[in-house]
Amino acid sequence: MRRELGYGVAALRKRPTLKLALWSIPDILPTAVYGVAVAHATDNFLAGNAWQGIAWLGGLVATACIGAAGSHQVYGRLGDLVEPLRDDLVRRVVGGALRTGDDAAVARVNRQVEIVRDTFAGLVLVIRNFAVTLFGVLVGLLSLAPLIAAFVVPPFLVGFALSLAVLGMAANRVRASLQADEELATASGMTFGGVRDIAATGAEEFAEGLVGQPIEAQAAAERSLAKVAALRTLCFAVGGWAPLLILLAAGPWLVGRGISTGTLLGGLTYVLIGLQPALNTVMSALGDSGLRYVITLGRILDSGAPATTPRPVDEVNGYQLRLRGLTFAYGPSADPVLENLELTVSEGEHLAVVGPSGIGKSTLAGLVCGMLEPTSGRVLLGGVPPSEVPVERLATTRVLIPQEAYVFSGSLLENLTYLLPDATIPEVTQAVEAVGAARLVERLGGFGARIRPDDLSAGERQLIALARAYLSPAPLVVLDEATCFLDPDAERRAEEAFAARGGTLIVIAHRISSALRARRILVLDGNKAAIGNHATLVRNSPLYRELLGHWQPGGDQIQPAS
Amino acid sequence: MTSLTFGSVARHGRGWLPLIGVTALVSSAVTLALPSVLGHSVDAIVADTDYRRWFTIAAALIVTGIVCSLIDTFAGTACVAGTTAWLRHGLVSQVVRGGAEGSRRFDTGDLVSRVSGNASDAAQAGPAAVTTFAAMAPPIGSLVLLALIDPWLAVAFFGGVILVVGVLFVFARRTAQISLAYQETQGRISAMLTESLTGLRTIASAGTTDREERRILGFLPELHKHGLETWKVLARSGAQAAIVGPLVLVAVLAVGGLQLVDGRITAGELFAASQYAVLGAGLGSLTGVIGEIARARAGVQRAAEVFAIDSVAHGTLHLPPGPGRLTFDGVTVATEDAVLLENVHLDLPGGATVAVVGPSGAGKSVLASLAARLRDPSVGQVLLDGVPLAAVSKQALRTAVGCAFERPTLVGTTVGDAISHDAIGPVRTLAAARATHAHDFVSRLPEGYFTPLPKAPMSGGERQRLGLARAWPAQRLLVLDDATSSLDTATEMQISKTLTEDRHRRTRLIVTHRTATAARADLVVWLDGGRVRAVGPHQELWQDASYREVFG
Repeated sequence: MRRELGYGVAALRKRPTLKLALWSIPDILPTAVYGVAVAHATDNFLAGNAWQGIAWLGGLVATACIGAAGSHQVYGRLGDLVEPLRDDLVRRVVGGALRTGDDAAVARVNRQVEIVRDTFAGLVLVIRNFAVTLFGVLVGLLSLAPLIAAFVVPPFLVGFALSLAVLGMAANRVRASLQADEELATASGMTFGGVRDIAATGAEEFAEGLVGQPIEAQAAAERSLAKVAALRTLCFAVGGWAPLLILLAAGPWLVGRGISTGTLLGGLTYVLIGLQPALNTVMSALGDSGLRYVITLGRILDSGAPATTPRPVDEVNGYQLRLRGLTFAYGPSADPVLENLELTVSEGEHLAVVGPSGIGKSTLAGLVCGMLEPTSGRVLLGGVPPSEVPVERLATTRVLIPQEAYVFSGSLLENLTYLLPDATIPEVTQAVEAVGAARLVERLGGFGARIRPDDLSAGERQLIALARAYLSPAPLVVLDEATCFLDPDAERRAEEAFAARGGTLIVIAHRISSALRARRILVLDGNKAAIGNHATLVRNSPLYRELLGHWQPGGDQIQPAS
Repeated sequence: MTSLTFGSVARHGRGWLPLIGVTALVSSAVTLALPSVLGHSVDAIVADTDYRRWFTIAAALIVTGIVCSLIDTFAGTACVAGTTAWLRHGLVSQVVRGGAEGSRRFDTGDLVSRVSGNASDAAQAGPAAVTTFAAMAPPIGSLVLLALIDPWLAVAFFGGVILVVGVLFVFARRTAQISLAYQETQGRISAMLTESLTGLRTIASAGTTDREERRILGFLPELHKHGLETWKVLARSGAQAAIVGPLVLVAVLAVGGLQLVDGRITAGELFAASQYAVLGAGLGSLTGVIGEIARARAGVQRAAEVFAIDSVAHGTLHLPPGPGRLTFDGVTVATEDAVLLENVHLDLPGGATVAVVGPSGAGKSVLASLAARLRDPSVGQVLLDGVPLAAVSKQALRTAVGCAFERPTLVGTTVGDAISHDAIGPVRTLAAARATHAHDFVSRLPEGYFTPLPKAPMSGGERQRLGLARAWPAQRLLVLDDATSSLDTATEMQISKTLTEDRHRRTRLIVTHRTATAARADLVVWLDGGRVRAVGPHQELWQDASYREVFG
């Protein structure tokens, strides 16, 4: 909570906040004049001076106009405070999402940022209005009759302080309620999406229990919130009603001291029209928007970019790849995906990696490219561990093309030169022709064409990603099933282009035909591995024989989309 | 279940409703009486008569108001929370017990919104019904009392109100346009973010994260600009409201003041009139009260649509001992606009592996869902070891029959949960996971079988393996509806081998597109256009050219 409040306070930049405070001064005027005008108008009416009474009321309207000019400016300044805060939150969410890959970030950009924007603005406004009212009422009461102020203001402040104390109690309950809400949505979404599966496994009672839990938690949270609401009512009794009763009780005594009827009515007006609504609004705003602000902002701040570990090595000598006792597991208690892998890939080699799905081929690609850190053992690329080399530097040594080709909305040329922004047109043309994407480029309307990923098939996106990788300055190319959506002929053409490009080529094979084109083949089998060429593997690796056995030329795949 | 109506929802909270209604009425009475009583108190103070009596009444009214508010808070919450939970349990139960066919016409997201949002709206039915009258009393009563003090006061009041309405009208129209531009820019930012997230691996490996960030945030200044516009609109209307707001009160006070000069009302009455003017301004919030009833009504309506789903009826019979012989006896499945299966007669021997093949739309999945009793035939019946599936008790049915799908939806909190939710125990879960090669990847997850489902991103093939493991414990009949289509050939081979050598000798009904699977089956059911085209061993059918075409 402290972090969120600190963030909010830090967002109150000096100049707009000062302006907001200054423009609030004219806003105080009508509040302050309210009771005074009512008091004097009443006294004048009582004395039979109709026009003077009307004049006082006219004065009230006039100050309202001045106040209006003030609130016009206040809202404008509020924008100057709130919009930069929203900008910062969007930056955080986008930056965090790009570094953590959190899909929920998209919802965050839309919904949660807006909640924080609205509640923050609401809070600033409500707190300002509260201050304005309190200040105005105080000024008005003091100018009317300081005695009345002495009766009215202390209980009001006590009530306000008490409601702040209740707020702390409410925070956890509101949090519990919001959480139960979310859990209910998640559990019911899962259940309703799986009705067929639930019926098939006879899991009806289990599913009812799965959703039933958050339903009950939600009801319990609501009931416990009622207790907070009751306490709030009591705080309001102290801060809103007690001043009124005290004023009435002291009435005869005050009148005895020369306080006029009008002044007494003015005092009552300040309580009923000024203090009570102000207290009511600030209590519900703090209790509702305030807590929603804290909780939602907390979510956004939690999801920010993770701290990055420094990558200190800047010297990569060549691109020979060595794996020494390489072991990797996804968690301390998880079985290792790769265990004690030994492998050297010399510069200029062509290696294929084969094995059943989920066996750890993509994990190996991630380790080689420095995206994952080994649990134990070493990966050395050009003599240094790639996970310690800055990614920008690494990108000039190796290029990874994953199965899900990345194409973004923009020009085709922007997409193709993504890894080499200053490539010349002849270079791009050569790359496009080499990987077999020339017809696609022509169909799309040349390099200048605007493309959208949704308009392209998965195979077309892969062709664009391949041409892009071909252009990259990196000598080590890792194709991680990067051709799985191409037909076997197109795949052959692309792989041959990369083999002829010079440098090292590592192909995580989608079809066994890819393996047959490679000079050496790594067969991953559980946490065992075998390495050799086609002839030795047919002799020594039962899994390789099995994989080969299912393969019919031009037909079945060994590795579907995963 | 009887149909759900506004009345039946309201009646669920009947224990609380009298209390809620009474406190609401008392509160309204207090609110209406207070300005007059305060006015009389002031008059009494000035005149120095009856002061004590009026003060006591005022204090009593205020305390009563506070007590009512406290009671209303507790009773209202208890009533609404209880009714909401009751509705939600009912909705979930209705959906789950209606089976896949029951809720077919609802989207998942739509059902979620009915349970989370509409249920709590609907639960307001009771309190809303009993408090509407009470809520209308203060603003309407105030105007009546205002007119009673002096009719001209009421006229002054309405003059002020018309101005306020005008301001609100202008405000609503302007914001709609500006917030649209704002939302569009916001949508563009999230669309680009979505795009980049799909290419995250490329971006991370190319070290272009900062470049992507700049590209997406390029729209931020535009968003900022539209955002400032929204505040400008607010500023204008805020200023107007600040002028118009006191107008109602001033109008009433001015007219009242003139009556005071003429001695037609007292100072206390003038004060009371000003308070009634403030209360009367609450007339605008009456639309809120009516809106609440309308929302509750709509919520009940939306819940009722779900309550109208028929539950799947199960019989009470146990299955007699038997090998798992599956019989389709003159089965036809028809929907409003199509016949999915027509007059299917099949007698499949117990313990056999039966492949179901055919072009898409042939009715393969419908046949599979009939065998697993995920839907019932329109005509005819499906029998397992001679007992119609509809007559078998739910427990016996689900112990005997298991079904795995092409795209299984995993339900549960952890991966282990999703395989087996009841007390089968870890040993059988493990055995099923091993047999279906799910164990290979589950054991590599960060927390193994205890990994929460959302933290275990899985490929289609991995999901299928969990789906298979979930169906594996079935004792008599395993239905696999294209349930191994996303597995790599090596894993699929291994699983088929386990299936073929099945120790439990269960009947296996396998919907497939693969030649190899059909070839290994004892029997192939060839469907075409909702009819059985032929039944026989794969080798025999293979002679037929149109059969070969089925496999492309």
